[in-house]
Amino acid sequence: MDIDENGGAGDVSSRQVQVRFVTKLKPPYKVPQASISIPANLTRFGLSALVNNLLQAANEDWNAEPFDFLIDGELVRMSLEEFLLAKGISAEKVLEIEYFKAVAPRKEEEPSLHDDWVSAVDGSNDGYILTGCYDGFGRIWRAAGICTHELDGHSGPVTSVCNVMPKAAESSIDQIVATASKDRTLRLWKFGVEESLDQPKKIRAFKILRGHTAAVQSIAAEPSGDMVCSGSWDCSVNLWNINASDSDGGLVSVKKRRKGGEDEEPQSEGEALTTLVGHTQCVSSVVWPQRGTIYSASWDHSVRRWDVETGKDSLNIFCGKAINCLDIGGESSALIAAGGSDPVIRIWDPRKPGTLSPIFQFSSHNSWISSCKWHRKSWFHLVSASYDGKVMLWDLRTAWPLAVIDTHKDKVLSADWWKHDSVISGGADSKLRISSGISVQ
Amino acid sequence: MGTNPRKENNSDKPKNETGKKKVQKLKAKNMEETLKRIEEAEAAADSSEDSPFVSGSDDSDDESLSEDGGSVSESGSDQSKLSEDEDVVQSSDGDNPTGASDEDNDHSSGDGVSEADDGDNYHGEDSHGESDDSREVVEESDSSEDEVAPRNTIGNVPLEWYKDEEHIGYDLAGKKIKKKERQSKLDSFLASVDDSKNWRKIYDEYNDEEVELTKDETKLIGRLLKGKAPHADFDPYAPYVDWFKWDGAKHPISNAPEPKRRFIPSKWESKMVLRYVRAIRKGLIKFDDKPKEESRLYALWDDSSSAERQGLAYIPAPKPKLPGSFFSSSDEFKPSTFYVKRRFTSLRTVPAYDKAVQETFDRCLDLYLCPRVRKKRINIDPESLKPKLPSRKDLKPYPTTCYLEYKGHKGPVMTISTEPTGQWIASGSKDGTVRIWEVETGRCLRIWDLGENIDQVAWNPLPELPMLAVAAGHDVFILNPRCGSDEQQKKIEELLHVEPQMATEDSGQYDWGQDDRHGGIRLKHFKTVTKVEWHRKGDYLSTLMPSDILFRAMNALIGSLCSIRESRSVLIHQLSKRLTQRIPFKTKGIPVSTAFHPTRSIFFTATKKDVRVYDLLKQKLIKKLEAGVREISSIAIHPGGDNAIVGSRDGKLCWFDMDLSSRPYRVLRCHPKDITGVAYHRSYPLFASCSDDCTAYVFHGMVYSDLNQNPLIVPLEILRGHSRVMDCKFHPRQPWLFTAGADSLIKLYCH
Repeated sequence: MDIDENGGAGDVSSRQVQVRFVTKLKPPYKVPQASISIPANLTRFGLSALVNNLLQAANEDWNAEPFDFLIDGELVRMSLEEFLLAKGISAEKVLEIEYFKAVAPRKEEEPSLHDDWVSAVDGSNDGYILTGCYDGFGRIWRAAGICTHELDGHSGPVTSVCNVMPKAAESSIDQIVATASKDRTLRLWKFGVEESLDQPKKIRAFKILRGHTAAVQSIAAEPSGDMVCSGSWDCSVNLWNINASDSDGGLVSVKKRRKGGEDEEPQSEGEALTTLVGHTQCVSSVVWPQRGTIYSASWDHSVRRWDVETGKDSLNIFCGKAINCLDIGGESSALIAAGGSDPVIRIWDPRKPGTLSPIFQFSSHNSWISSCKWHRKSWFHLVSASYDGKVMLWDLRTAWPLAVIDTHKDKVLSADWWKHDSVISGGADSKLRISSGISVQ
Repeated sequence: MGTNPRKENNSDKPKNETGKKKVQKLKAKNMEETLKRIEEAEAAADSSEDSPFVSGSDDSDDESLSEDGGSVSESGSDQSKLSEDEDVVQSSDGDNPTGASDEDNDHSSGDGVSEADDGDNYHGEDSHGESDDSREVVEESDSSEDEVAPRNTIGNVPLEWYKDEEHIGYDLAGKKIKKKERQSKLDSFLASVDDSKNWRKIYDEYNDEEVELTKDETKLIGRLLKGKAPHADFDPYAPYVDWFKWDGAKHPISNAPEPKRRFIPSKWESKMVLRYVRAIRKGLIKFDDKPKEESRLYALWDDSSSAERQGLAYIPAPKPKLPGSFFSSSDEFKPSTFYVKRRFTSLRTVPAYDKAVQETFDRCLDLYLCPRVRKKRINIDPESLKPKLPSRKDLKPYPTTCYLEYKGHKGPVMTISTEPTGQWIASGSKDGTVRIWEVETGRCLRIWDLGENIDQVAWNPLPELPMLAVAAGHDVFILNPRCGSDEQQKKIEELLHVEPQMATEDSGQYDWGQDDRHGGIRLKHFKTVTKVEWHRKGDYLSTLMPSDILFRAMNALIGSLCSIRESRSVLIHQLSKRLTQRIPFKTKGIPVSTAFHPTRSIFFTATKKDVRVYDLLKQKLIKKLEAGVREISSIAIHPGGDNAIVGSRDGKLCWFDMDLSSRPYRVLRCHPKDITGVAYHRSYPLFASCSDDCTAYVFHGMVYSDLNQNPLIVPLEILRGHSRVMDCKFHPRQPWLFTAGADSLIKLYCH
């Protein structure tokens, strides 16, 4: 009834478009399939209101929900009329508009306070959040504000953290995480998720991986969880064996930690299995998406794909800018997203023959990109963090950010997805921010 | 004219010749009448045409008759020869059909004969009558060589002389030739009536005989009369056969040598010339376009005719001023308001112009002392004067935008220095602190509070020995930023450990002491240190103490005791041996900056006026670079070592190509205020300057390995954002520029 009024009001000024709303959402979100005529000057918000009205007509106690609209694989970001004109879509036919819940954070959790800058976050395990901090501690957060463990041992700022075996060990007692630090070491930690304590429990690393001659900048674990790789300021990518079971005792030198004193846990040390040499400057980011391939990004303006078996780089994308962050994901986990020393997120498709130019460039940030992560389920969604203090959500189907989270007061140093519907980010304001309620299909 | 037919006749029959000769002899005599007769006869023959048969019979009759007649006529004994000839001719005429058939057909002759009777009579009469007249003409007959001598030998005497004689002349033997008896008129008439060929008979007066023309001869005469060629066979319009081959003639047509006349001066022309010369001398020929003779004298002070003079850069003098208040001609020309009009009673009472001498003198002085220069105005498109520089887009990457700020200092940041790997930078500020920053995040890692103005910080250029040299007040600190690995740390700690007794050993002015509070070495100097510079090997470092005048006087006293040639303002310290030495050269002027050569053992000292280049091994001055600026403030050496940039306090940036000259290769006047720092990029072809005018300039400075190619300098970018820029340094590996500002910020400009 509101629709009719709207339509009647707009009738005088604008044209009408025949549309039909379709969705992949579950029944409470479904609107009738019949095609309706709506004014062509409606924007995304108008469409959203329209769908909400339709839903409310079917369901009395309906809470308004923002929707996003997709026409021919492109998100509607202007008025329908302009959109159709720009895309050259005929307005005579019945237009099919797919709608889904808007990808935007609905809730901002309490910030989790750290003692120093939060340099790394990892949300690959749904059960907890792993953060690295400039005070040298790694922390495990079960939820916003609830720190369960402190990973104590690094003598320099933690620069990168990662979950080893994030999927397989979800239910098991012992979780293994790895951290990299500016003290040139990597540490592996083991802890039990189920323990719930009032005070965060301090745990020690069960293994220290030494071998880098300069600050380690990035760490990534193999999907099966047997190995980790790390990129460092010494221009190399090192591969390390984890050996959680301490089976290879021959190579491992067991010693006690002298300074800590009170803790008697044995700490083993490991050495690098292989070194992938080729970068000429700091390797700022490594990703290990499949068993045989490692992607690395460096300040020497290149993104390289390494074959683990041979140790050779099979792909070398020259970007022109120093790259800070890298992630592999998207369509069939093949797209490379990277951000660096300029406010542009570039996305390459290495499968595309011929050119090695980016297929997408997102440039709404104002400063360096410090982090970018693909959503683990969606092919289109991406989160990015920048030194301008903003975290942005991106959809490949539109050039504008879906949502901007600017709750950080200072540089955002790291961001990640958590539990598929939240974005976690840590920054120079020493806070871990969790923005939840993001409904990614 | 008679040659051709004669020849042919010869070929045909030799006997014909005699007939021809006769004809030729006679032709001049009475040819005209004969021919007239022939014509008339022919015309009559053409008009009336009888049956050819009759004519043919006639013809045959004629022949017979003629024979008869011939026999009759040759009755004379003396004329035996001629008669013979005649016989022959006539017989040939009759017997030889070829001779006749060649040029004539029988019909025509027959035709002519058929009507001959009337004509014969008529002609017969005439021939006798006219024969007298035609005698005179005989004399003119030319005698050709091959002609048979005539019977009569009288020669060319008038025949009247023999008119009354009985003889007509003499023969070859000298005997008289008797005149023939004349036939009576009646007889001759009858004979002519009877004889059809009478019209062809001609009386030869000279030889006193009658000649009968043959048919050929009559036709020949007819052709002559008509103006045709005498011989019937001659074709005047025969087709032209070109005997010359026009194509492919390689050689000149004539191979004859040049004739002599072409080489000797022409007499005719010389005569003509002589004639002209005489005419000119006499004044008969005058030249109008003679150039006017210009008078070599001209009026020096004349200003009227000066316009057309075209001397070398001649400029007309300005016109003199009109005399002031002298003339009182009329009220209109009042030169000045002070003019007071006066009236004089007569011209005698008008006084002399009192300023005349003065004005003339001034005028002369003005002309003499003020050289007049013609202003040359050149119309040049200002755009064309711009050097052809490559586009900025092609020279990427270079720093353009500020993305990162390093906040934390409380006072103006005076100096920054980048770590050789590019991971950290160090900065020194007026708030007395030295800070170390992480480049990628902008986090301050370490702070030393040294309590004094920090004038210079410098990272050790060796990446494996991260140490920091800091000039703070009178002290130089060598600090350990604890950035390297454990082994490196150990090495640094060893290096930075000084035993106390070593400090006392050294001279009192340069005190190597341990600084426990900051964890490093403290080098005490006797006055304020402004510059610290590491040698490329990371062991030596130079310090600079610009001495003021008072101090220099004191130094001179001390210096007189020790070696005079040493400079006290520049010191070189060796870290590993804890040694301090002065540079063994005398520096003139107050040094403001120093630099080590990036590859060789060469040391640069910039004083306020010039830059001196010393060889440290040979210990002598190599070069002096004259900047030509007011006051040098900073210097940077290109990583190649052959180029240097010098910044000055008057905002000029001088690029020196040391191989080229000791003068600046290029001077860039970019900053309106003092240049505080200049920097080269280690690997990219970039250099930058920063200034008190709140800007930093980034230039493209390409130095080519080809020595023939001069460095290419292109201004790229003006970086703004600071209040005053105190220092700028490039990132060692990225095309990024760090700038330190008086607003206590450090900014990173990225590409």
